Amino acid sequence: MPKIAILKFPGTNCDEDVLKSLREVGREVRAEIVWHKDFRLADGWDAVIVPGGFSYGDWLRAGAIAARSRAVLELPEAAIKSVPVLGICNGFQILVEAGLLRGAFLPNESGRFICRWVRLRVDNPKGPWLSLAKNGDELHMPIAHGEGRYYIEESDYKSITSSSPLIRYLPNDNLNGSSYDIAGVGTEDGYVLGVMPHPERAVNPLLTPRGFKPGGEVIFRSILYSLKSGW
Amino acid sequence: MPLSREEIEEIKSILSREPTLEELAMFEAQWSEHCSYKSSRRLLRLLPTAGRNVLIGPGRDAPAVEVFPGVAVVFKIESHNHPSAVDPYNGAATGIGGIVRDILTLGAKPIALLDMLYLGDLRDSRAKWLAKGIVKGISDYGNRIGIPTVAGDTWFDSSFNTQPLVNVACVGIAKTEELVRDRPAPRDAILVIGNPTGRDGLLGSSFASKPLSDNPSEDIGAVQVADPLMEKILIDSILELARKKLVKFVKDLGGGGLTTAVAEVAADFDLGAELRLDRLHLRTELTPLEILVSESQERMMLVVDKEKLADVVAVLEKYDVPRSLIGFFDGSGRIKAYYENKLVADIPAKELAKPRDIWRLSRPPVELVKLLNPVSDIPVVSVAEALDSLLSSPNIASKKWIYEQYDHEVGIRTILKPGFGDAAVLRLDTGDRRGIAVKGDANPRYTAIDPFNGAANSVAECYRNLVAVGSTPVAFVDEPNAGNPEKLEHFWYFEMMVKGIAWMTNELGIPVVGGKVSFYNEDYRGRQVKPTATIVGVGAIEDVGRVKSIDLKHEGSTILVVGTTYPELGGTEYLARVHGIEAGGVPTPRPSSELRNASYIAKLIDDEIALSVHDIGLGGLAVAIAEMAVLSDIGVEIDIEKIPHRGCSRLDEILFSETQARYFIEVKPERVEKALELASALGTTAAVVAKTTGRKFYTVKLGSITVIEKHLDYLRELHEESLRKTMV
Repeated sequence: MPKIAILKFPGTNCDEDVLKSLREVGREVRAEIVWHKDFRLADGWDAVIVPGGFSYGDWLRAGAIAARSRAVLELPEAAIKSVPVLGICNGFQILVEAGLLRGAFLPNESGRFICRWVRLRVDNPKGPWLSLAKNGDELHMPIAHGEGRYYIEESDYKSITSSSPLIRYLPNDNLNGSSYDIAGVGTEDGYVLGVMPHPERAVNPLLTPRGFKPGGEVIFRSILYSLKSGW
Repeated sequence: MPLSREEIEEIKSILSREPTLEELAMFEAQWSEHCSYKSSRRLLRLLPTAGRNVLIGPGRDAPAVEVFPGVAVVFKIESHNHPSAVDPYNGAATGIGGIVRDILTLGAKPIALLDMLYLGDLRDSRAKWLAKGIVKGISDYGNRIGIPTVAGDTWFDSSFNTQPLVNVACVGIAKTEELVRDRPAPRDAILVIGNPTGRDGLLGSSFASKPLSDNPSEDIGAVQVADPLMEKILIDSILELARKKLVKFVKDLGGGGLTTAVAEVAADFDLGAELRLDRLHLRTELTPLEILVSESQERMMLVVDKEKLADVVAVLEKYDVPRSLIGFFDGSGRIKAYYENKLVADIPAKELAKPRDIWRLSRPPVELVKLLNPVSDIPVVSVAEALDSLLSSPNIASKKWIYEQYDHEVGIRTILKPGFGDAAVLRLDTGDRRGIAVKGDANPRYTAIDPFNGAANSVAECYRNLVAVGSTPVAFVDEPNAGNPEKLEHFWYFEMMVKGIAWMTNELGIPVVGGKVSFYNEDYRGRQVKPTATIVGVGAIEDVGRVKSIDLKHEGSTILVVGTTYPELGGTEYLARVHGIEAGGVPTPRPSSELRNASYIAKLIDDEIALSVHDIGLGGLAVAIAEMAVLSDIGVEIDIEKIPHRGCSRLDEILFSETQARYFIEVKPERVEKALELASALGTTAAVVAKTTGRKFYTVKLGSITVIEKHLDYLRELHEESLRKTMV
């Protein structure tokens, strides 16, 4: 049975949420929270999730210190070995800081942290994290971040826009001022995906406010399906 | 508050000699009002603290109640008023840090934060600067430690312009058998873990126990600096230590620092302690005196059985938690502190920990009578314009600008989120239908006019909010914020607030399991801020799938009002906002109606008759029903001729009275008969007063005459945008 590592750094705070939501989606999933010092890719992990939080207190820049940790320095190896990697919120920032995904993050346009449910659209779903999503699917999840404004150079954007999976805020829901409404981006093969909103908070209808649907579920269902049946 | 001459004499007689400087500092810290409750203890005994569900009452860093068999809720309130007046960002942030550590001391997992903020008039530039800094401080700290800020209370009043009230609460959960509550014993090791000790927050409790100076920046050295990353590491490591049952006892190094932590444990368990101050990890070189009273944040004391020391250290290593073994408890009953083998303090623990009560005198202020007399000849104004003015009042308008800066989702427990319910609702865990409701309330205007009845109404408001979402109220904690206890007229407000809380909680049969007291909330001219009785309550919920939010669910529903409306405009938001009058007494507390109406609401929710429920509070029923409509984008039409009332002779009395013990409920038309039947069976007043419509309008009728009609988009703009527009 495939097993998933949930990487934890000092200051990570969504690790338990990711674990619980994974278990809520797939009861028999083998997932574990792994303290960064104890993480070895060679331990046979089939997928790695870098959850949200404030690793190292956001010192320097969000994600900057964790990106230089030994655990994250092992992740390029994961990409080579086709081990899927998902970064959520601060995890996305870490993957960008580590150079595994393109772009950069800036403080929200308003200068304030914002926690709100938003509507997203999936473009070019591919890879293990989006295998069950369809092109153009509308997904709902909450965002909760202070440095969530994704920035990408126009030339870089042009090179990924038709080839890589993208998750975009619907135009009215781009609350942080991200370039091209980008909320999530993947590598061309979709093995590595980063998303700013929190899929783990959008799995259970009980936690979903009026007017929204739990849109994070498809990401977790996708990875469990993909690890079992391929993609 | 420096020690008084009498206190110094008493210290000499306790020690039978002249105290050392270190000893004097220890007494000053521990005997401060903040740490010792010396002026308040006598009155706090009036509060009902016992109950069937109470596992741990007042006395520890936090109390615990059993909400379900085997499930304990640990919750507590704390004020950080003085630090927030000087450095709003760090003052508020460290308030969050402190209250979270209180919860951790019992090994409970913190799952929710609440912030009750009583801020200045936003038109004042300093008040606005303070307000923004306070919200940012809570946001940055709470978000970073991964605990959702889910509820609270916010109030704006010019009396808080230079001295805001920042009350914060934390709620934690634990399995009852996993609570950390062993008895420390002689030879147990004393470990201090967390941040290295520095010079910040020196005698901070003493600073919080005196009025602010006229130049608040002078007090900056008494404010602590916040480090949420260390706090998060403490949370992770202490929860692991608790789960592995490796620690006997945990205490926060909060107000009074090391002195208070060691003295209180020694005194409570008939112990003494020998401390080696030079072994403590420091940020900068400190004197033994500074080490004893520094209030550097994110530090905790662990009491560990010697045998388990190695296991404890292994866990602390994993998380890279700085730590020092600074001594051991013993049976001597004395706190002996050494610095480089020199004895610098030697004090009997009990005498240090528990100063004698001070019997404070009180006297009602003479001008009070004027505030209590009914206001007559209130000019007749347009109720339609009054409604606009109320919905955009910062006290009533949506607090979105604030709560969207807080991560209220982390933990994936928040079922009823800020803005949607009268209280926040959290599930206990994934896959568990059980949950808790939490809410904090106060009304500074009420308590400034009539502290006894005002405080009783704070309790009732909190109670109703817990009931409205469908929970059974279990316990409260309280925080009276008062003026200078040395001033007779200030102390009177404190006394009356405590008595009001005691009376109402007794009537409702809900214990007050803990709390905090804040004195010296006055500006540099010696004027007290509006004395404020903050209440935080917890309720138990069997099935979180059935909780009620305030937004209307369907077009074509029927709306009932529960409770009788009285002409009680005294102290209301309407009288203050529209007429500029803050007087006329306050609405009468009605404990028996509260109990009766609460059991009616509970029954309607149990029987799945109620679709939505909303407590009628600030702004009266005109505001309450507007909030229900605006949030759902479903129109309402209310006929005020149908509202059960006694003695109301004017439109504004019906619409804006803040009579207690009232609710709105939305019911499907076919269940109305059943709802009314239940009301008469329980002896509750309930009447059909409104319906929801397919038109996006808010309409108030008096029989066939339309009194108010407004488009929902217009009202929503007022309600949702007013605060944001003022803040940016």
